[in-house]
Amino acid sequence: MPGETVEASAGSVATRDARTGGGTAWLLGSELLTLFRRRRTWAMLGALALIPILIAVAIIIAGPAPTGRGPAFLSEITNNGLFVGVTAILVAIPLFLPLTIGVVAGDTIAGEASHGTLRYLLIAPAGRIRLLLVKYAGAAAFCVAGTLTVVVVGTLVGWLLFPIGPVTLLSGATVSVGDALVRLLAIAAFVTVSLLGMSAIGLFLSTLTTVPVGAMAATAILAVVSQILDALPQLEWLHPWLFTHYWLGFADLLREPMVWDNFIDNAVLQAGYLVVFGALAIGRFLTKDVLS
Amino acid sequence: MPRPAYPETMPAQGAAASRRFSRWIPAIAAPIAIGVAVVLVPMQANAAVDLPDLTPEELLELAASSDVEALSGTVEQTSELGLPDLSGLTGGMGGASGGDDDEGSDAGASGADLDDLMSLVTGNHTAKVYVDGGDKRLQVLDRLGERDVYITDGGAWIWDSREQTATHVTVDRAALEALEAEAEAHADEARERLEAELDGPLPTPDEVLDEALAKLDESTEVSVGTDARVAGREVYELVLVPRDDDTLVGEVSVAIDGDTGVPLAASVTAAGADEPAFSVAFTDVSFAAPDASVFAFTPPEGAEVTEHEVPIPTVAELEQLKAEAETGVDAEGTPRPIVHGSGWSTVVELPAGRGPAGLDEGADAATGDPDAAEGLGDASAMLDSLAQRVDGGRLISTSLVTVLFTDDGRVLAGAVTPEHLLAVASSGR
Repeated sequence: MPGETVEASAGSVATRDARTGGGTAWLLGSELLTLFRRRRTWAMLGALALIPILIAVAIIIAGPAPTGRGPAFLSEITNNGLFVGVTAILVAIPLFLPLTIGVVAGDTIAGEASHGTLRYLLIAPAGRIRLLLVKYAGAAAFCVAGTLTVVVVGTLVGWLLFPIGPVTLLSGATVSVGDALVRLLAIAAFVTVSLLGMSAIGLFLSTLTTVPVGAMAATAILAVVSQILDALPQLEWLHPWLFTHYWLGFADLLREPMVWDNFIDNAVLQAGYLVVFGALAIGRFLTKDVLS
Repeated sequence: MPRPAYPETMPAQGAAASRRFSRWIPAIAAPIAIGVAVVLVPMQANAAVDLPDLTPEELLELAASSDVEALSGTVEQTSELGLPDLSGLTGGMGGASGGDDDEGSDAGASGADLDDLMSLVTGNHTAKVYVDGGDKRLQVLDRLGERDVYITDGGAWIWDSREQTATHVTVDRAALEALEAEAEAHADEARERLEAELDGPLPTPDEVLDEALAKLDESTEVSVGTDARVAGREVYELVLVPRDDDTLVGEVSVAIDGDTGVPLAASVTAAGADEPAFSVAFTDVSFAAPDASVFAFTPPEGAEVTEHEVPIPTVAELEQLKAEAETGVDAEGTPRPIVHGSGWSTVVELPAGRGPAGLDEGADAATGDPDAAEGLGDASAMLDSLAQRVDGGRLISTSLVTVLFTDDGRVLAGAVTPEHLLAVASSGR
């Protein structure tokens, strides 16, 4: 069986490499280089950056939004440009961020398989588990990059186009610009953590197929389905188990005092998804016949 | 790790299969481990609560003697009243009434109040509670929003982040103190008179409690339930079961902290139901004094600030109110609510010409006040979608409360069965 031979050689290479060490860092570096050299990655980051720009420009052209209409925080933007980043992340998180994460996570293994490069990766000094870990780290790095793009571009655009000043939080308290920037970074961290479970699902789906588009679409669709289920009151018992459940919980970081309950619950939930789907991906990938 | 050399006789297929299976082990073990943890951790938390046994009297005394001055914690409220989730409907109404502010603040206020009320009744909420002596704060954590109530010596602030409105409620301290002094003087006088009549000192608080319990026992079975754990603390459970077939209330349960006597949870279960229809419980609580900064509130720039001073009635006005209550008609000549029955099956009736009556003929006829009519018009549209047509009126029935709008304009409400409410409506008693 051709698969058996590849598996055997990959295993022996991995044991040899474990002794030499340092291979993981090299592999991770090359994975990140490949990921962030791709034109597609930059196109997706560019699309994410467009969200805050479009919001800010629309408000400049059309005037301030009335209180209580449109996404939350939208009406605050004309008073304070720092809300551009928050509004953009709120707009991006239901669809645009999951779409891009789905593309990256769904592509991890299936993309290599479709290019016929997976078997070479496994012949090169890399064990299967290590390859999975590195691929997952790459997807996680994209989560960080995507979230930061939205928040940082949003803040910069807001800074350019609108007045900047002390920020009114949800609790009605007012904090300084510096404090607000720290909170924006905390929001980026919250959203990044929120996307890690989904990345693990994408990684697993990616090990199931050699057609990357299938894994990408399935991952993005799962995110949408999960959000729809989260909106159905009849399924209340299920809600705390959905990986999208805490996605909008980042608003807790805009309270005074800051509420960390959602952050912690979210981190535990995402870790659960990571463990389950990571283990599934390992099980699948270790037993998979790599033919391409 | 060197691969074991397989015996020549063993089929390679079988070895491969067993190796394949062993590689799925983590994938099988991870969900199982998580599942076990999910089941075991709450069991662990609930296991082995055994507080010293108390009678209901002792438990009530423990609660009454509670001297907790400061606490902070998270409260979860859930309600399953059997009403549809109206947040979308009422949310639209709130937006509409917020848009036409100039139309009269009454209409806006009644729309918003109804909105708040409905969302509080039908939804689930998480809130943070902070208490330190006279300073109190309730922080309702809405999704992407927040409502706050700050109560300090300087009055109360009510903040709504979605509407960006702050309401400052103050009372006239001097008037309040005068009233209190008057009331105390009256109380002293009343006690002296009572003591003279009884020919001895007044009953002690213990005796009062016993008497109250005895009276309660006529309508309600009071017992101490199983000890449990709420917010990680060991609690007693006080269970009230109505001795009344007409009420929808099956059981009221209050969890009282075994250490401090603070109530940590309360729930109301409908008759015949397993799950509470309404429950409020701390999910975590601390009795350390919260930081003073959590009670500070200054309305932010750009927010709409409303000042509202609560009028304190003088003693003379109170006397007048009392007299009105006795005659059943207030100063403007509109009839006051009538109370039928007592205890659990109490029914309150708003006579015709008061309240959101006349679902069919339109709300404006009922009050003649155009501002109120606008708010009530919204309300009546919503009620129409909820109410169910019955003989002689429209009925809204939830698992705990039944409301009847009769065709002749009366409104009856109570925690009773629809049959009982209809009987009260037709007999007028």
